[in-house]
Amino acid sequence: MQTNVDKAWKNKLEAKRIKKRFSTEFWMLLPSMILLAIISIFPFLYLIYASFMDFSISFENPEFIGLGNWKYVLSDTLFWSSWGRTILYVGIGLVLQLFIGVGMALAIFHLPKGKNIVVTLWMIPVFVAPVVAGLLGRYLLNSTYGLYDWLLSLFGMETQVLGNISTSMPAIILMDVWEWTPLITLIVLAGLNSLSSEPLEAADVDGANYFQKLTYVILPLIAKTIVVALLVRSMDILRFVDKIRIATEGGPADSTKVVGYYLMEVAFKFQDFGSGSVLGLTMLVVTIFLGQFFVKFMMGKE
Amino acid sequence: MMKQKSKKKVLTYTLLYLVVLIGLTWALVPIIWMVLSSLKTQAGMFSMPPKFLFKPNFDTFQYMFSESGGFLHYLRNSVVAAVSSTAISLVLGALGGYALARGQFKQTKHIAFWIISTRMAPIPAVMLPLYLLFTQLNLVGTMTGLIFAYTTFNLPFALWMMMIFFKEVPEVLEEAAMIDGCSRFQAFLKIAIPTATTGLVATGILCLMFAWNDFMFASIFSGHRTQTIPVAASMLITQQGIAWGQAMATGTVIITPMVVAGLAVRKYLVQGLSMGAVK
Repeated sequence: MQTNVDKAWKNKLEAKRIKKRFSTEFWMLLPSMILLAIISIFPFLYLIYASFMDFSISFENPEFIGLGNWKYVLSDTLFWSSWGRTILYVGIGLVLQLFIGVGMALAIFHLPKGKNIVVTLWMIPVFVAPVVAGLLGRYLLNSTYGLYDWLLSLFGMETQVLGNISTSMPAIILMDVWEWTPLITLIVLAGLNSLSSEPLEAADVDGANYFQKLTYVILPLIAKTIVVALLVRSMDILRFVDKIRIATEGGPADSTKVVGYYLMEVAFKFQDFGSGSVLGLTMLVVTIFLGQFFVKFMMGKE
Repeated sequence: MMKQKSKKKVLTYTLLYLVVLIGLTWALVPIIWMVLSSLKTQAGMFSMPPKFLFKPNFDTFQYMFSESGGFLHYLRNSVVAAVSSTAISLVLGALGGYALARGQFKQTKHIAFWIISTRMAPIPAVMLPLYLLFTQLNLVGTMTGLIFAYTTFNLPFALWMMMIFFKEVPEVLEEAAMIDGCSRFQAFLKIAIPTATTGLVATGILCLMFAWNDFMFASIFSGHRTQTIPVAASMLITQQGIAWGQAMATGTVIITPMVVAGLAVRKYLVQGLSMGAVK
């Protein structure tokens, strides 16, 4: 008897829910979707439109020039070299962050004492605003009174790190590594902490040494988390150019001019919004591509 | 045999602590140096070799927060912009995130992808069309424009995070409330929101952090009246040189509240910064 009543209730509720579902939840979602459309679809469409326009004569009434901007940008050597530098910046930066981040995570994970305080201190750079990271890099590497420059000079390296085309990009990469490696550590640590002890014990029984356990048991189990983390980081490195703007302004001799910074310069310094739009679209394509992978990983998990 | 094993253990631990110590030195020296420099006199800052012990001097901070320093003005702008965009994003994000978590929309996956690509869109590529729109609407240099600009990254972030947090809340409680006659919306307000409070707070703090730390949008969209602290910090770099004392003091002021707030929501920080990939 009781179960029948329960069933009847459930059916009624279900029917009510299906009917209600559309209305309530739809209306709850609607405001966000409208605002999201204004902040994403509109700029995207406008970017496509602007990529066919010439803004040099009149800012308010740009002139249609067809593929002019596209031809200009695609034949511009700086476009290709800035993308090349972007790939180096993202690639080398991520490899370093991955190795240092995983290394620190493993070291912290196996500490017998003081894990908590170490993690807390290690993660502090994550909170630092990119503009401050850039200022700090510039200050520490200043050739007359910078602390790091002074340390380098103790080792006999008298160089203007940020003023030299061969060291400026590595310095920028290291600023990003400094700021964001802790995030990789935190992600890997979360993965390590959620590992069950069984596979490790099984490996112990089989007489595996630590390195074997690491490569065959631990890393494969947290590989997916690391991939997702790297996807987020790569999109984020593309997003920001604050550090470059503060520390080197794209120089010296374009050596730190990544595509995002190049866009800023083309659009806001030279007021060439048409070519800037082409650059922006190439960046968006890459982000959308990476984002698709990310969503696949995330939604596939459930 | 036993002795050898314990010897090996001591060696391993020493090595581990050494690695950790090197890591922490690399991570913290810049920040410690920034704080120390902000407490030095002009002459003390530029002495070579660098001084590690000295009498702290608060002149730079005193000047910054004084009437002529103008810092309080920037502080106000930063707070207003960050808080407003966070409030808008949080309200809409909680509503929408809940709808995405509970509703059975056919396009949830597409919406999710849309949200992520909006959140992760390269800032220069977003700024360009927004700038053209803002000039036409006379929004460049206004607080409204800046708040709107921050919402471009905070709204998709809040939507995404709240969707994840609400998915973790079991639906049973809300169902029970609805059997008792609550509407879906009442169940959301009275049951779902209170159970997801920590998620809401963490998302809010991260939104504040993203807006507070922003330099790129503010450098183009904020005018003289609406300048934020990061822009003020960048203004210290001039053709004549850089006011390092003030720059380091400003940097200290920018990071201090973020470190405090960030460590308070530590557990959710990783989840937020990895866009929910890590629990």
